[in-house]
Amino acid sequence: MGAYAAWHAIDPGSPEGRRARARLAQADAAYRDGVTRLEAEGDGARAALARGVAIAPMDPRLYARLGRACRARGLDARAAEYFTKYLAAVPQGDEATEVRAQLEQLDPELAGVFGPAATPSAAPVADGGPSSELRLLGLGALFGLLLALTLAVVLRFFRDRGVSLERLAAERPELHPAIAYLVGSLRHELLKHRIGAAGDALVALRAGSPSEAQLEFLRHRLFGGEELRAAWRSYVEAFERTLGGLDLSRDKSFRRADRAIRRIAQLEPRIAALDAGAIARLASAHEELRAFDQQLAGMAQRLVRARVDDALLAEVVAQVQGEYAVSQAELDALEVLAVEEVAEVEVFRVDLVLVIKNVLRNAIFAAARAEPPRRVRLEVELELEATGEETVSLRVSDTSPEALDREMLLDRRVDRGLGLVTAAVRRYGGSIDVTPGEEGFQKAVVVSFFRAFDDEGVE
Amino acid sequence: MRRLMVIEDGHEYEEFARLFLADDFEILAAHSAAEALALLEAQIVDVFLLDLRFDRALEDALVGDVEATARRRFGGDRSRALRHVMEQQGALLLGALREAGHVEPAVFVHDFPPRRLSNLCRLYGDVRAVPGFDAAALREALA
Repeated sequence: MGAYAAWHAIDPGSPEGRRARARLAQADAAYRDGVTRLEAEGDGARAALARGVAIAPMDPRLYARLGRACRARGLDARAAEYFTKYLAAVPQGDEATEVRAQLEQLDPELAGVFGPAATPSAAPVADGGPSSELRLLGLGALFGLLLALTLAVVLRFFRDRGVSLERLAAERPELHPAIAYLVGSLRHELLKHRIGAAGDALVALRAGSPSEAQLEFLRHRLFGGEELRAAWRSYVEAFERTLGGLDLSRDKSFRRADRAIRRIAQLEPRIAALDAGAIARLASAHEELRAFDQQLAGMAQRLVRARVDDALLAEVVAQVQGEYAVSQAELDALEVLAVEEVAEVEVFRVDLVLVIKNVLRNAIFAAARAEPPRRVRLEVELELEATGEETVSLRVSDTSPEALDREMLLDRRVDRGLGLVTAAVRRYGGSIDVTPGEEGFQKAVVVSFFRAFDDEGVE
Repeated sequence: MRRLMVIEDGHEYEEFARLFLADDFEILAAHSAAEALALLEAQIVDVFLLDLRFDRALEDALVGDVEATARRRFGGDRSRALRHVMEQQGALLLGALREAGHVEPAVFVHDFPPRRLSNLCRLYGDVRAVPGFDAAALREALA
């Protein structure tokens, strides 16, 4: 499913679905304006198309018009690219026959991917562009570009407008690694080491019989070192700076915590005097901050997750095999190994599916270009780390001898493969790498994420 | 009296231990794996109290191969790998202690998910955890 279809698939009865449909309509107007300007060879086509990109993905059926407009202006390579995108997205579309014919004239070998093989006397590519094998690789990269565009538009679409941290986390899953890090830092440095650690001394204080050492400990933790309000403020600013202008003064939980911090800071002189009222207020503020800490812990547990299970793999394979170009690829075997242990990763499911689809599609095309046996395997591996964490790796192996190394993975140029997928994986705190193949496979592309644990007991 | 070694990158655990656990333990403190191992050559310790995050530690004092971690788990991104090694330093440090033959119980003040704690036990034997600074809970865990 491409980016446009993914947006369209969001339940239209939900608030997110209604927003998505509205944005798609708004973007469509901009895209059509851009295409019309391009057809008329007028100014402003690029700006109009860019407006559309900033709002939502484009209906892939517009690629037919874009291709024809480019061809009319002599931009044959660009036209072939757009025709390819159309056929990849809507192979049975109303204009598919005509688009295929146009692509046949521009690049007969590439057109053969989408239909009957071109005759030897077919016209050569006008601009002497890259070979069809590289273009096949480019197909995978184009889907990667769509993925990146989707992610970029989602980021702008769900930009914060003073929402709570929980709502931001719900709407922008690509921020979860950053949110997890910030929450972890706040909880560890401030809420655990300063606030939480003062708990036992506070109990003694409330009992009315604190030792001098306990009082000093309490004073040091709460009022010593960096001033408590300043320390709190620096964390709030780190959240707001890192998470795209988030305004935590509009977050109820953070406002309550802020008030508790200010109350504690104001109580220092009265605590020193062992004022009973001040001690009671301190205990109340302390309790509020402990509750805030628990709330943050709960929120961290609920960060977006995807189950890596047989259903996920089946969905990926079904979607890839349903693509026309993939269905034409000659493959001897596509093996999907059963998932031995279901695990969760902190990735939005639709993005995980898109990432693995890209990797799998590349592997299928690569294997199909090679000599038999043409095999691809998709499997999931869990690995225990020395830290007690676990890594979930989705491994796509293929029998193609074509080279694929880390530099190619990182390469962001559209015609060079998985660079955009790599960027998407990294945004979620994951990694993607190429490793030597095993059991007859030449190589494997491995996408890895740390396993997300939950609070359920171990069996 | 039993001997407790606190290993952390600051002094918060040591301060807490000296104030609330000193009746039950003689307290030793170290701030890196190297320092802990050096102390252990001359002292017998009954239990370790470990911080997990060593955000303030210098890189050359850390246990763990940052370069290899970057290659294996972070796509070559060294800064992410370094941050990870710092955030999980307590677990890696425990691995270094076990490798050196020190099998005494280890207690973390950290709210590990059960599966993670189980993994640490699988890797390093007697590992316990309390979710926060609570003297009574710590005394029980350290018993």
